[in-house]
Amino acid sequence: MTKQTLPNTKPIMCKIIKKEEECEDTFTFLLELPVNAEGAKPGQFIMLWVPGVDEFPIGIAGFENNVLEIGVAKMGEGTEVLLKKEIGDYLGIRGFYGKPFKPPREGKVNHVLIGGGFGMTPLKMLTTHLLNQEEKQEIHIFEGARTKSRLMYLNWFQHLHNEEKLTFHACTDDGSYGYQGYPTVDLENFLKEVEGPSILYVAGPERMMKAIFDIGKKYDEVIDMQMSLADRYMRCGFGVCSYCAVDPTGWRICVDGPIFNTKQLEQITDFGVYKRLDTGKKERI
Amino acid sequence: MSFETFIGSIEIRNPLILASGVLGTTYSTLRRAYEAGLGAVVTKSIGPRSRSGNPNPSVFALQEIRSLINSVGLANPGYQSFRHDIEQLVKSETPTIVSIFGENQTEFSEVLDGLKDLNILGFELNLSCPNTEKGGSQLGTDPDAVFNIVKTLKSKTKLPLWVKLTPNVSDIIEIANAAVKGGCDALVAINTLKAMVIDIQTKQPILGFKRGGLSGSAIKPIGIRHIYDLYESFGERIPLIGVGGISKGEDVVEYLLAGASAVEIGSAIGVAYPENMIRFIIMKLKKYLVEHNYSSIGEITGGAHK
Repeated sequence: MTKQTLPNTKPIMCKIIKKEEECEDTFTFLLELPVNAEGAKPGQFIMLWVPGVDEFPIGIAGFENNVLEIGVAKMGEGTEVLLKKEIGDYLGIRGFYGKPFKPPREGKVNHVLIGGGFGMTPLKMLTTHLLNQEEKQEIHIFEGARTKSRLMYLNWFQHLHNEEKLTFHACTDDGSYGYQGYPTVDLENFLKEVEGPSILYVAGPERMMKAIFDIGKKYDEVIDMQMSLADRYMRCGFGVCSYCAVDPTGWRICVDGPIFNTKQLEQITDFGVYKRLDTGKKERI
Repeated sequence: MSFETFIGSIEIRNPLILASGVLGTTYSTLRRAYEAGLGAVVTKSIGPRSRSGNPNPSVFALQEIRSLINSVGLANPGYQSFRHDIEQLVKSETPTIVSIFGENQTEFSEVLDGLKDLNILGFELNLSCPNTEKGGSQLGTDPDAVFNIVKTLKSKTKLPLWVKLTPNVSDIIEIANAAVKGGCDALVAINTLKAMVIDIQTKQPILGFKRGGLSGSAIKPIGIRHIYDLYESFGERIPLIGVGGISKGEDVVEYLLAGASAVEIGSAIGVAYPENMIRFIIMKLKKYLVEHNYSSIGEITGGAHK
């Protein structure tokens, strides 16, 4: 079980100390925690309370010196109000919840991170984690978006690419930046060529993840796939309510996940097919 | 030494039952809870139609009192959709009690009629949810309504009917009497207590519904008191199921001594990994039985009444 690094209690109120536009309709917020906390891990999430409006799970893009970085895209009433919040306003957080990505401690592998939209937030934190390893790691980032203005963390990744710290494979549907087409296609071209074992870390829309899962399974050199199923309806975030549970395993995304590996994903028949609504009813993805 | 537990005509492998509303949204979490070692499971409360419940935040922990507050508000997919989950539970031989609710007698009847052909252990009537505008606890605080609903439903099925009582009344015995007169097969006490948490920074209630219900360790002494009082009034006439704040073996024993035949565990089991927690509780129960020369769970019931 992942150690709770903050007390699991009512929302802890954090002041917004920085807000900047990350890409179209998407902002980065830096939140200052009022208590000392141990580090959150890449792939974990928080429940973010927008006072008086809503609370929802959101990925962590970074955490350092009690400052939490999140990326918010406009998605509904809750995020719309959230995007209007300014420096000095308060937001509540609960967490850090869930099991993180688990890059291997030893051995040489290609770390292949694939995502789209707000899925890029946990992948940004994972990238930071991999870059901080003593030994230089082989890191490849595949990011997909409709168009250049919607590529999240574009400058950040491109800068690291230029410094040869990682390889950034941007993909846009309209070809306005990087490869024209879906990241799934670009990824498969890459997997055909790359040498040595690879681990895929994926966060984004579940249908995209399922497509990547099917691609990854074709390649023996892909030794593990770790995917984030955090984009699901949640109430509690810590295992009680089970509104995020998947069939037939009964795993709760919030505590048994949100990161699941290849072996686990193979057992989740809901993966890429069904999600649960706030009524508990299942709906096709 | 025997852990078999009798609640009226129902026999289960041990006295530990999953409380309604925890891990109860899908057959797979319920089955997993049973496989972790429980005696039976109670589903999330199911009503006539799908219902989104209250806006988030709708559940969070209060660490300093080892408790939870919630205002989920009976979110559920409706009985027609949930039938499939119950069928899966029956197929996997999970002893299942289906919790049902309605805004009135007609709605309760509709849900019961829609599910009573299934091979389940029985129904638990949720007459006491504090998190809705109508129905739930309103019905559960009115003895006439309780009597009428129980009597009507009893005439429709041979399956056992348990009635879950709210502690949010001045006299729980009056409500319990109405349920017993109506013909219920067991009383379950207690549901959550009315509660609220306010954020002092933004000066507003945290729950999306503002008001909620408290469960967890903080309410255990209240649950114990109600079970004790109910046992004093009814004795062996009606089986009691204790619920509220159970997280360890000692808590189970305390409820049994107060007069419960079995217990339901909610908040704590969801937060923990059920497998570990149930193992620890069973170990402690075994130890207690040995140390106090009991040969069965049933012998402990009511032991605090001398």
